[in-house]
Amino acid sequence: MLDRFFYREKGLFLQSLHPLSALTYIAVLLVLALVFNHPLYLLGLLAVTVTAIKALDGIDAWKTFLRVSLGAAFVIVIVNAITVRAGETIIWHGPYIPVFGRLNVSLEAVCYGADMGLRLLDIMSIFCLYNFMIHPDRILDLLSRFSFKSALVLSLAARMFPTMVSRLDSIKEVQAARGVDFNAGTLKEKMGKYVVLMKILLLTSMEDSMETAEAMYARAFGSGKRSHYVRDAWRPRDSVCLTASLLAMGVAMYGWTKGLGTFSFYPRLAYLIDGLTGIVLLFAVIFLLSFPLILSWGWHNCPFIKSKI
Amino acid sequence: MKKLLSRILFWLGFAIIPIFLATAMSGKTSITREWGLAASIIIFGAVGLMYLSFELDASSPREIAVIAVLGAVGAAGRFAFAALPNIQPTTFIAIASGYVFGPTAGFMTGSTAALVSNFFLGQGPWTPWQMFAWGLAGSSAGIVKRLFPHIGRWGMAAFCFLWGYFFGWILNLWSWTTFVKPLNWQSFVAVCAASFWFDTFHAIGNAAFYLLFGTGFMKILNRFKLKMTVTYIGADD
Repeated sequence: MLDRFFYREKGLFLQSLHPLSALTYIAVLLVLALVFNHPLYLLGLLAVTVTAIKALDGIDAWKTFLRVSLGAAFVIVIVNAITVRAGETIIWHGPYIPVFGRLNVSLEAVCYGADMGLRLLDIMSIFCLYNFMIHPDRILDLLSRFSFKSALVLSLAARMFPTMVSRLDSIKEVQAARGVDFNAGTLKEKMGKYVVLMKILLLTSMEDSMETAEAMYARAFGSGKRSHYVRDAWRPRDSVCLTASLLAMGVAMYGWTKGLGTFSFYPRLAYLIDGLTGIVLLFAVIFLLSFPLILSWGWHNCPFIKSKI
Repeated sequence: MKKLLSRILFWLGFAIIPIFLATAMSGKTSITREWGLAASIIIFGAVGLMYLSFELDASSPREIAVIAVLGAVGAAGRFAFAALPNIQPTTFIAIASGYVFGPTAGFMTGSTAALVSNFFLGQGPWTPWQMFAWGLAGSSAGIVKRLFPHIGRWGMAAFCFLWGYFFGWILNLWSWTTFVKPLNWQSFVAVCAASFWFDTFHAIGNAAFYLLFGTGFMKILNRFKLKMTVTYIGADD
């Protein structure tokens, strides 16, 4: 059931990007989602992200992210509505509550909460995109160049994790064959049965870890400078995507220092579209961020573009 | 020298969140609307400092393998107990390994469990916060052991119980700084009130794990700690 949430190799263009350019693209999206609070900008980012998820064939899984985000967005609206005192347009005079004072709900606070809910959806979607776009091993590969010990711990653990989950299943089967019923009993009894599982798992895996360590000793781990080789190729597509992402970041930062992309909620809501420059900047950023998507379309549909990138 | 630098980085990583929290609540900064970004940078910085500290620390292949296994067990625990709502042994495993193997190993176990389980459950904006919170649970257990060697069974159970709440509050920091304005203690209390029952179940689960099975787990871990210690004997001894 859970397998649709994590990376699966589908041979798609966006999955073939070098981890560095893919990671930069995701990071730029994330930073922009955290920096901008203008609803139109957040919607634009959402549109780019969801299109990318669609290009990666992940809309089904994204719908689950959408449901979770809407639930959390509701909580954000409530918390903002009851704690913010800065809005002028009061839409509901509430009762007096000990810690918080008088409960006055303002339109501005509700709008701010909704906007933040949109930001949450943006961030969740960006992570959803990350999950489909980059294989964890390739990130670890990248990491291992400059911090090999942490990368080794993580890749060992990531390698062992599926083994452990399947080992848990077989221990559970063995226990069940001996007459242990995992569904019977009170919560305390159930916990006891599961903890026995964990204990057996811990003991066997710790024994294994000693053997892993022996194997590492035998291969002279840590005896000198570590050798490594590069497996990921850097192709023209990566240069294009990296340049476009960095340019988008630059343009957005320039606009941001000029006060574009931010929306003032308090004390009263500002105009949604305030001058032409804001809109031009928005389109420039969205265009630059769409570059990987355009290339993806070209790669899948146009043999000439495919041969060049 | 490397060892000293590793210690300094470790404590810096530890201190960064309380300083951040105090600054956010005081309202005396020039940062007005970018708290969401600031919080993300700070959490990545804190986790990065902790990892750098581990990187500089001298650790043997045995330690590396044991930390990786414990991290994977913690991650697998999130799946094993999926049938029982709100009861997850990951916090307990991080605390137990920190208590036995020391603060740095505890941090690495907790944060590895968070990151690796999210490879399979899906990464999200909560990942660095979970890495930090579980890591901190592990390393604080190591520190508690150094400060109070005779803390006893009930003391540790109380410690596990408290971590149920600390974990929730650290994770709340993310949603609070990113989505709530103004940042003051009232709004933080409101966010924590929203997660109160989740945190309480988590806390009770932790304490129950410790009281029922803590001793057995620690015994296994201590046995392997003994096994890990290698003494090299020179040829002329």
